[in-house]
Amino acid sequence: MADELTPDEALDKIDYRPRSSSEPRNWLDTTKSVQIRPGMYCYAAKPESVETLGLPYAREWNPTDEDWKLPENWQEILHEGIKERLERFRTFKIFMDICVRCGACADKCHFFLGTGDPKNMPVLRAELLRSIYRNDFTFAGKLLKKIPGGKRLLGSREMSLEALKEMWYYFFQCTECRRCSVFCPYGIDTAEITIIGRELLNLLGLNIDWIATPVSNCYQTGNHLGIQPHAFKDMLEFFVEDIEDITGVDCTPEFQKKGADILFITPSGDVFADPGTYTCQGYLILFKYLKDKYGLDVTWSTYASEGGNFGFFTSHETMKRLNAKMYAEAKRLGVKWILGGECGHMWRVINQYMDTMNGPADFLEVPVNPITGTRFENAASTKMVHICEFTADLIKHGKLELDKSRNANRVLTFHDSCNPARGMGLLEEPRYCIKACADEFYEMPPNTIREQTFCCGSGAGLNAGENIELRMAGALPRANAVKYVHNKFGVNSLATICAIDRAALPTMCEYWVPEVDVIGVHELVGNALILPGEKERTEDLRMEPLPGVEEE
Amino acid sequence: MKKTIKKNRNQLLESWFDATINTYPEESARILGKKSNRFDNPIGGVTRETLEDVLTLITEDFSREDLEKALDPVIRIRAVQTFDPANAVSFVFALKEIGESVIEKADIINFYRLVDEMALAAFNRYMKCREDIFLLKATESKRRIHRAFERAGLVAELSEGDLLGSKKS
Ligand code: SF4
Ligand code: SF4
Repeated sequence: MADELTPDEALDKIDYRPRSSSEPRNWLDTTKSVQIRPGMYCYAAKPESVETLGLPYAREWNPTDEDWKLPENWQEILHEGIKERLERFRTFKIFMDICVRCGACADKCHFFLGTGDPKNMPVLRAELLRSIYRNDFTFAGKLLKKIPGGKRLLGSREMSLEALKEMWYYFFQCTECRRCSVFCPYGIDTAEITIIGRELLNLLGLNIDWIATPVSNCYQTGNHLGIQPHAFKDMLEFFVEDIEDITGVDCTPEFQKKGADILFITPSGDVFADPGTYTCQGYLILFKYLKDKYGLDVTWSTYASEGGNFGFFTSHETMKRLNAKMYAEAKRLGVKWILGGECGHMWRVINQYMDTMNGPADFLEVPVNPITGTRFENAASTKMVHICEFTADLIKHGKLELDKSRNANRVLTFHDSCNPARGMGLLEEPRYCIKACADEFYEMPPNTIREQTFCCGSGAGLNAGENIELRMAGALPRANAVKYVHNKFGVNSLATICAIDRAALPTMCEYWVPEVDVIGVHELVGNALILPGEKERTEDLRMEPLPGVEEE
Repeated sequence: MKKTIKKNRNQLLESWFDATINTYPEESARILGKKSNRFDNPIGGVTRETLEDVLTLITEDFSREDLEKALDPVIRIRAVQTFDPANAVSFVFALKEIGESVIEKADIINFYRLVDEMALAAFNRYMKCREDIFLLKATESKRRIHRAFERAGLVAELSEGDLLGSKKS
């Protein structure tokens, strides 16, 4: 990484010091109001959704209005909110204190790299909150604010309305992807600062609708889209019909089956949104195969019909509430453990938070794959296994019969979703599954994958329609690498294991690399897996002719 | 004139690249302007490659459409950033001043015309990118959710083909 900024260079490069308002390059200067631009921000949350969740200060407000209708004592609320969180979260306190502004993170954020807006440098994003912290909570801050020029020296500022607006604008231009933390010599995770930042904004009712409404739906109906149980069931039954047309085999799943071996939970996007629906069909085919061959008993649930957890983008408490539902259902049904579908942030919640939040789930068993005997030690406490680990394990033990030729029309690359990759280190398993199901696979450049993967630009609740410019700009670094493998190797399929990616990346591709299509890993599995008693397939799960068939 | 452009291509490229990158805020321009790995710095990388391609193209025979195509990568980026339309394409005009130092007096009017032609192509492409964005905005959620419902026969009245008809170009 010859391009890394040296500390000296960076101090010169990152202009963090507040100057007098007459100095135009003063980024902390809030005498000019932040420009909230259309295309870059998400709409404010509907008051009904905020109310349902019992979150404070539900009201109609508009980010572009001068007046945000804040509670009168909003500064006090924020001050108390920060104080409480400094005591509660050690990481937050440490991250506030230890940044040396070395600049190593500055050019690592996809939003900075795509928008060119300096305030999207992770260090400056964190500085939005850190400047207030210095002013209000440090001894130096209290001392220096009395001296002329002292604030500038320290990099502190007061909690003004303009500072608040800036925080709101830029904390909703961070997808909590953690790429910056990989490059920080101190391991400062700006994602966690954003998480706290958003939590603080929520104290003032400053939620965005693309998060608050799904959370409210999930809380009431069981999934983000607010789909009722019968529609959930209808949808899966419809998939069963399609699969039967294609394979001749009836893959009807179980719902809420008490005493099943495994409860399967996937993000509702897989059930209701293309192209995730084809991945969902892949799951159904896999479970049917395992049932017929090995007698494995998997059940779905219309109650725990959401693996995703937008509560994570709201506050720790909200995340906990939504997460609890999955475990309550596992307990009620008396299954041994939980298998989770291809999702992104769901895994970060499970892997990083669940255990201390709702865990340990000691009413469940340590997950063991009954077919191979593999004990999933990594899930010993959370009792929840990622389907890619599960499938990779089956493939490794030769338990699946796969016909790669059915995916021969796909020249693949793999997008590491931020959360499974950086949040839980799931790097090899999806690749292993892909390579077992298809022949042509090419990696994107090493500085854009695995731990260094570039975010899709739409995570952490920012996959709305109104902020599409932000999303497309944020997706530029990812798309740039996809375009490269498309041009070089003829890659036509971008595989991924996240429901948000399956929703966001087709739009990204359409804008930046229209020749590339998005596909889930278990869609590939579903195409390749040879079901006992199946008829000769002529179509893939999208009902397109199989490779080789069209010429006949 | 084409010979002069060819001969001075590197000099033109460096100045034009600097002028283009300097349309970003100063703190960003310092990072984006560095010659770093093109995957670590896509704005810088793509901008440089595109300007280079355009400078090569204008020394050959070309149509406005060729120009549009060559300019696409850089315009496509600027169309989703916070530039207003004028500032999104203004970098093309910077070439006029840059060219003055190398283009011979007798050719300068022709050179200006060439840059004007480029600007028109850039504007066309900018509009096309904006249309792409609006269309994506209009069709995205329907494509994601409604198509799945439609296939399942849970909604009937949507004729989504119409909506998507003009999508690809
Ligand atoms: S967050 Fe880390 S990498 Fe970024 S400036 Fe601070 S210390 Fe350096
Ligand atoms: S967590 Fe991701 S989006 Fe947020 S500042 Fe870091 S790199 Fe940028």
